[in-house]
Amino acid sequence: MASFVAALRQTCRFAAGRVPLRCFSATPNVCSDIKLMAPGGGLDTPTVEVPEQEDFSSISGIPSTQLESRHVRIFVPARNPMQSGTYGTRTWRMEFDTQQRWENPLMGWSSTGDPLSNMTLDFNSKEDAIVFCEKNGWQYHVEERNWPKRKIKSYGDNFSWNKRTRVSSK
Amino acid sequence: MASRLIRQSQGATKIVKQILSTDKAEARRRVLNLYKAWYRQIPYVVLNYEIPGVTVKDGRVKLREMFMKNKHVTDLRAIDFLVIRGQMELVETVNIWKQKNHIMTWFKDTWNPKPADFLSKFYEGN
Repeated sequence: MASFVAALRQTCRFAAGRVPLRCFSATPNVCSDIKLMAPGGGLDTPTVEVPEQEDFSSISGIPSTQLESRHVRIFVPARNPMQSGTYGTRTWRMEFDTQQRWENPLMGWSSTGDPLSNMTLDFNSKEDAIVFCEKNGWQYHVEERNWPKRKIKSYGDNFSWNKRTRVSSK
Repeated sequence: MASRLIRQSQGATKIVKQILSTDKAEARRRVLNLYKAWYRQIPYVVLNYEIPGVTVKDGRVKLREMFMKNKHVTDLRAIDFLVIRGQMELVETVNIWKQKNHIMTWFKDTWNPKPADFLSKFYEGN
C-alpha cells in the first residue's frame, strides 16, 4: 500500500506543479509514506475532512447513463414456498430494475443488453445496502421486511379463561 | 436524484486519511494545474493525432466540458483520484501511448444511438 501511495505521489508531481507535496519526515526530500499508512494512526497521521455521506460515483467508472437511469430495489428475498426453511431470507438483497429483454430470433433464448441485469448483491443489513447505493450514486427504494403473523390454531384456546365461555350458574 | 440532493443538504462531515490534498485550496490548485497542463498540450495533441474535424478550439471546449462534468465533487479524496486519473490520461496522450480511436471516443460515441421511435425499434428487431 505504501508503495502504491508513493507511486501516486510520483505520478501527481507534474499535476501538482507548484503545490508543495507534504513531507512528513524530518529529512527533506524523503516522504515517509510508511508513516502515512501506519496502522492505528498516530497523532501525526494526516487526515482530511470529507462529507459524511461518501459519493464515489464520479470515480467508480460507471457510465453516467447507467447512474442516472437505473433504480435499485433493496428487499429481503422471499422464502422458498416449499418445505425449506427461512435460511434464504436472512440477508438483504439489492437488484436493479428490469430493462428491455427480447427473444433471440435464432434460438429463442432470452437476451438483454443490460450489463447489470444479473447483478444482485447481498448485505447483512438494510443500512449497509443503502450506504452502498448512496456511495455509488444509484437511486434506490427499500421494500420493508414483512414478518409472518402467527395465527393461533389451537381448539382449546377457544375455551381459555379469558374467553368467558364458562357459565358458573347452571 | 432526489435522494442525492437530500444527502448533500445534510452537510455532516467526518475525518479520514488523506490521499494527496489536505484542504480544499490545495485540491483546487491541483485541479487548476492539471487543467493548465492539458490546455497547453492540446495544440500538440491535435497535431499529433490528426482527428478529422477536430480543431484546437474543439479540443479546449471538450477539455472544459470534461472538467465541468465533475464540478459537483466535494470529497477531497475523490478530487485527488480524478486528478491522478487525468494526469495519467495526459501522460498517455502526450507520449502517444494512445491510439487515434482513444482520442476519437471523447468526441463521439463508438456505438450507434439506440432507436427512439416505435418503427425504428421494430426494424431493429426488439
